[in-house]
Amino acid sequence: MKIRTRLTLWYATILIVSLIVMGIGTYEQIAEQMQYSHRRNLWEHALDETSEMVLWVGLPAVVCGLLGGWWITRRALRPVTALTEAVEKIHDRNLREQLPRTHNGDELDRLTEVFNAMTTRLDGSFQRIREFTLHASHELKTPLTVMRGELETALHEENFTTVQKERLLNQIDEIERLAKIVDGLTLLTRADAGQVQLSFEPVRLDELVRESVADAKILAQPHDVRVTLDACEELSISGDRHRLRQLLLNLTDNAVKYNQPHGTVAVSLQRNDGFAELKITNTGAGIAPELQPRVFERFFRGDTSHSNAIEGCGLGLSIAQWIATAHHGSIQFASEPNKLTVVTVKFPGAGSPRV
Amino acid sequence: MRVLVVEDEKKTASFIRKALQGEGFAVDVCHHGDEALAAAAATPFDGIVLDIMLPGRDGLSVLRQLRERQNMTPVLLLSARGEVNERIEGLNAGADDYLPKPFVLAELVARVRALGRRGTESKSPLLRVGDLTLDTILHRAERGGKYFDLTAREFRLLEFFMRSAGRICGRMSIIEKVWDYDFDPGTNLVDVYVKRLREKIDDGFEPKLLHTVRGAGYVLKE
Repeated sequence: MKIRTRLTLWYATILIVSLIVMGIGTYEQIAEQMQYSHRRNLWEHALDETSEMVLWVGLPAVVCGLLGGWWITRRALRPVTALTEAVEKIHDRNLREQLPRTHNGDELDRLTEVFNAMTTRLDGSFQRIREFTLHASHELKTPLTVMRGELETALHEENFTTVQKERLLNQIDEIERLAKIVDGLTLLTRADAGQVQLSFEPVRLDELVRESVADAKILAQPHDVRVTLDACEELSISGDRHRLRQLLLNLTDNAVKYNQPHGTVAVSLQRNDGFAELKITNTGAGIAPELQPRVFERFFRGDTSHSNAIEGCGLGLSIAQWIATAHHGSIQFASEPNKLTVVTVKFPGAGSPRV
Repeated sequence: MRVLVVEDEKKTASFIRKALQGEGFAVDVCHHGDEALAAAAATPFDGIVLDIMLPGRDGLSVLRQLRERQNMTPVLLLSARGEVNERIEGLNAGADDYLPKPFVLAELVARVRALGRRGTESKSPLLRVGDLTLDTILHRAERGGKYFDLTAREFRLLEFFMRSAGRICGRMSIIEKVWDYDFDPGTNLVDVYVKRLREKIDDGFEPKLLHTVRGAGYVLKE
């Protein structure tokens, strides 16, 4: 129940109780006066008088009081409503924006002040985390280059046995994997910090889709997975060619990797209500409903026991989500375990390609 | 061949130097951009390995200064992966080649050697390695009298291998130059395509031409 309604109800109760007290008082008064007039049906008359009094004087007073009370609480709580609306608009991107203050020194102004101070501190923390990850991923690159170089030099120079060589080569493979993770992380943290510039131009999305489906078909062969292009409407959007190709490759590659033998991947691109709608459906094991909201989280892996066998850096979907959002689009993940998993990406402003 | 290596990270510079010296190059190392400009002005190098990220004057600015001074020494840029803008800027500023970090050392050495051969590459539309020929106009490959159908991607891949015949090609370079991806696709795309290509051009033929170099990439050679 809203504070306003609650206060008004309490106020109404008080008014009604006072009305009853007033009624009883009036009745007693009138009855006392009438005792001296020796009239018949004396009590009845007193009751009539009282009712009349309560009805014509008391009730209007109560109604006025109620309306007044409602108005006063509403007025008193208006800044709270405004504050709530302002707070609702806050998310991790605009923490730096401060809520407007009245500077009249009342409790609510004080609350706003404290709230602003809190968001400023939060913004600082977010900023530091972003900078930290950015620096960390950057700092990791140099040692990786050095490690890789040293291992290669060692392999070249020393006389190792085959077993030792194999061990060193495995280390190089792991360094490669680490380098991939660092790359993905660098991209995402730079995107968070607003440091990645996309170069928008008209892009034939259907051509990019055809191209990535061709790649996916080849990637799917060793997995015994069939890739089909169900629909591919000719359309163009304003976008960054490189990033869109990255999104397409990430999604089709995921659909192939997290599939089952003899499974299928179906890709379609259609115009829908002014949006370019890309659908990638696969017949993989899927993800349990309670875990689905987390699929776009960094390093999220659906089924840990199963997915360790699948190579990947765990950042593909996060990167795809960032690319979709950076194009003012949306990405959705829907999965029915052991049936179908569908990833839907929508880009606004789908136009006809210029001939 | 005398090469200048400009790299601020001392350990990286040191193993690049060792690797190049191991291949018979004379190597000078600088850690700063300004030092590099002075060294390049004093000595005629046959090639420069230039890191983009340098303290003070960065690699791109060094490169521009060099070209402004009419110094046309071939330059191999080392760039951070994913920095596509830097790379385009570098090539526009007159770099001859680039390699994303972390790189395959063997590939770096091969690229540096290729720097010395710049300009002498064959401009003929017919590429030949052993008995394998690739017609870059007709998009057709032939070996031992047999013609192969190549998809557009396979053609580009084979053309890349043939143009860098005898040199190790790292997976990342292949991804960047054949697929034009400026990101790591995180898949075994290259390996799968190479396998298919190998089935076409190597299966049933001797000697094998397309070799895997474990821990590095691939090389097409006789």
